[in-house]
Amino acid sequence: MLRKSIWTILSLLLVATLFLTACEPKEVAAPVEKPAATEAPAATEAPAPAPAEEITIRWRTRPDNQAEIDVYQKASDTIDAKLEGITLVYEPGGSESSSYQDVLKTEIAAGTAPDVFWIPGTDIADFASRGLILNLNDLAAATEGFSVDSFYPAPMAHLTHNLETGAEGANSGALWGLPRDVSTFVLYLNLDLINEAGAPDPRQLAAEGKWDWEAFKDVATKVRALGPDVYGYGANAWWGPYGVWMNAAGGGFYNADRTACGLDSEGSIAGLAFQRDLYVGDNPVAVPYGEDSEPPFMAGRVAMFQNGRWATPGIRANANFTWDAVELPKGPSGHMGNWLFWGAYVINANTQHPEEAWKLLQELTTAETQGMISELGTNIPSRVSDEAINAFLTFTPPDNNQAFINGLMDMPTAEGPLWAGSWPEFVAVMDPAIASLMTGKTTIDEFKASICAEANKAFK
Amino acid sequence: MTNPHIDNRTRLLLRLAIVWHIFLAIGLFSGIVLVWQTSSMTGWLRLLLTVIMLSGGFASVLAALFIRRHEHRGRVTSLIINYLGFLVCSLGTLHVLGVFLGIDALAETFPRGIPYLGGIFAGYLISAFGDRYENYPKRQQAFRRAGKIIMGIFGVLFLLAIRTLPGLLALIKRYDSPTPYLLTTGAILFGIMIWALWRKDSANALKANNAHEEMLNGLLFLSPNLLGFLLFFAAPLLLSFYFSFTNYDATTKVSDWVGLKNYISLLNLTIAPLSSPGQPATEVLNTKIYDELTRITLFGRGFIIGAQDKLFWTALRNTVVFCCLAVPLSVIPALLLANLLNSKLPGMKFFRAIYFLPSVAAVVGVALIWQWLYNAAVGYINYAIVSVINFVNNIFGIAIADPQIRWLSDTRTALLAVIIMSAWQWIGFNTVLFLAGMQNISKEIYEAATVDGASKWAQFTKITIPLLAPTTFFVVTTAIINALQLFEQVYVLINTEPPGGPANSTISLVLYLYVKGFQRFQQGYASAVAWVLFVVIFSVTLLQYRRQRGGTYA
Repeated sequence: MLRKSIWTILSLLLVATLFLTACEPKEVAAPVEKPAATEAPAATEAPAPAPAEEITIRWRTRPDNQAEIDVYQKASDTIDAKLEGITLVYEPGGSESSSYQDVLKTEIAAGTAPDVFWIPGTDIADFASRGLILNLNDLAAATEGFSVDSFYPAPMAHLTHNLETGAEGANSGALWGLPRDVSTFVLYLNLDLINEAGAPDPRQLAAEGKWDWEAFKDVATKVRALGPDVYGYGANAWWGPYGVWMNAAGGGFYNADRTACGLDSEGSIAGLAFQRDLYVGDNPVAVPYGEDSEPPFMAGRVAMFQNGRWATPGIRANANFTWDAVELPKGPSGHMGNWLFWGAYVINANTQHPEEAWKLLQELTTAETQGMISELGTNIPSRVSDEAINAFLTFTPPDNNQAFINGLMDMPTAEGPLWAGSWPEFVAVMDPAIASLMTGKTTIDEFKASICAEANKAFK
Repeated sequence: MTNPHIDNRTRLLLRLAIVWHIFLAIGLFSGIVLVWQTSSMTGWLRLLLTVIMLSGGFASVLAALFIRRHEHRGRVTSLIINYLGFLVCSLGTLHVLGVFLGIDALAETFPRGIPYLGGIFAGYLISAFGDRYENYPKRQQAFRRAGKIIMGIFGVLFLLAIRTLPGLLALIKRYDSPTPYLLTTGAILFGIMIWALWRKDSANALKANNAHEEMLNGLLFLSPNLLGFLLFFAAPLLLSFYFSFTNYDATTKVSDWVGLKNYISLLNLTIAPLSSPGQPATEVLNTKIYDELTRITLFGRGFIIGAQDKLFWTALRNTVVFCCLAVPLSVIPALLLANLLNSKLPGMKFFRAIYFLPSVAAVVGVALIWQWLYNAAVGYINYAIVSVINFVNNIFGIAIADPQIRWLSDTRTALLAVIIMSAWQWIGFNTVLFLAGMQNISKEIYEAATVDGASKWAQFTKITIPLLAPTTFFVVTTAIINALQLFEQVYVLINTEPPGGPANSTISLVLYLYVKGFQRFQQGYASAVAWVLFVVIFSVTLLQYRRQRGGTYA
């Protein structure tokens, strides 16, 4: 009986110690040495006030690989050393089996999301209208020297969209975040294949102003003639690549004021018809629609691979052929129809430390931080600055980094949140319909007849 | 039965218990009023708390009444209420004090104490070693004393090493608001009442017998599992049923009652005649509500079927097709394979392990490998097909064209690709189950059949298959349930955005539920999808069960 009691007491004691151990305050990491003040304090100066308690700010962005994780961690450490009284915790998000956005939204619902996080441009409207992110307008107004004009205007127009008045710009009364970076599409070229096919060099054609859809189709057709497993063109199946053809033909996803579906407009249909011809026309030149085009490009079987700046590190690491980049060909509208891809750092509406989070947001988008991340080659700084662009041009290969900048300068369409409706609902209708079109399951006429009746349900 | 003698102390404790339950009931009923006056609370939480407090209040009143009448059910009711109250208050205290968030601190600190636990164990061994000297009491005492001293020293060192004292101080510091004090007081009061009613004298006073004691002990042992089931399975299940009648959105916390709207939207179909096969849907359907689902021909006339939620019906169709093909493809080969592996040939154990391997591999890893295999341009499957075609063409001098199968990007083959991969992965597990079933069949039956001149095939069809009926029932039922819950294979293998591509040809019901619940945050609607899926799975399983009981498998 006594032994049983002893064991009971010991067991309870052990459980109690486990709880007490769990209560032990976590040891705060030794403070990183802050940069020394420029002036030494005077000898007679009053003693400095006791340092305030360190505030921990968690932040997250979506890296594509370990190299990016390392760069963001380095940026986080550098900013941590710079910000007084703030300890930063960087959390890389997303993996092969967990979508970055799905995990983030679930954490927001559970109240455990980080203070600052990155979201793609298309998600801004959804997050802002649900009240999940802070309107930073007041914090920005109180910050000396801050100007929304320091960034590319197209993303900033969306990031300053006022939900109530619809106004955009510096005085709209809204600021939902700051852009992390921007990117445009280019065509990554396998120059060995193009030379072997005897096709003209697209870079040369672009320099001569002759790089249009016809020239593009000509190069793709010549390369395709090299063999049944060699393709002239490849792109992955999502809204970015197919949107380009619509934009370049003068169409787009929406009508002019972005309040209804524009997929059945003349320009959109012309663009889609040209693209469909690449896949299921009489002489198809493209990697079959829906197939991941990256592996065949890396295997040296695709001449022109349409992708953004984020694909550069992978190609640098894996391509065993001579490669470079060229801007997209110009369409009937006289423009490339490129996208201005962007994503923004935003602040969690439930953060306990909005002011500290705002400080972090500014630091993450300084020219210095963006330069550090651009060095990796994954993105283009979101600040409008010759210095930033000149620095970006030096991060080779590809030699023709100018192709990205040309995309930026040719009236790109900003990756746009859908303020008048639900982007996820819209894309859920658009994407399968275009997949059916590009794989030959439906005709252009069938697509045109039905698409907007379905897609318009995504608008309020 | 006469009332047993009750001593004064017990009488006092029982009176206290009656008063305690009356106060508890008043507190719980007042809590309901408070809940309905709090405007910030969401509807489902308010309802849940009301049900809990109402049940607790009535149970408390009943407990007071029964104890007053000296009936044992009063003791049982009181113990259950106080036990649950004790758990709620204790766990609530720990939650409010942030103990559950200290798991990192525990993980970092506790390992420091592990060597000292080894010291305590050594002390115990020394103490136990003394038992060898039963005939030498002094020596035995010396060992025991030495063991206790060692255990004591290492116990103290252990407590110091895992920083119990700073933990205690930190815990005390966290008592900085009335809530932890209230919860701790509650836990103490509930604890006292448990003790008061659990006592042997109280049990006797309330006419407890051995059966009662056994029942209480049984409930106590069962409680961790039962509470876990209720808290983490039954409660979310009921909650999701409630959510299916609301427009619940977990991010905005909006949860308005919408009645059957979600179910109506899901299941709403319409059918309209077509004047010509190519007549546009916009001319015959109210496209503000319905989207074209499919076109059919009945008695020579064309009809168009429209659905309010086209994607749900597409997902349902895909799931049923997947189930109808993946289940036989994973069960029939498994049966044949098990029969083969049941033989006593050398190396069979090795092959059993090899065939089982895909079942233990993670779906994500398997799907990523298959993604590469299926690649239309550089994948090994198409490479093998092309090689075989070239070989045949060269041998026979013919010109069979390369089919260029676009496994993952063609709407005709994407679901098939998922089926092949899933069947490949499930075969191993089903094989092991069949193998276990076959090894339970008595060898004498086969010997008798051999003596009677039955062929191997006859033995397989007339003995193995009928006697495997219970195993077959289990394998088929679990395979169907797994198939109807198709998710990871599509999510990872068909890595499209939005999920379930190309052109929704692989979207399954669970994937659709995921998209609605975790990408669009329409949790109310997703809950309705979940319940429809539950009805489908339950009906199929019930049908299977009835067929099995009816002797189909026997």
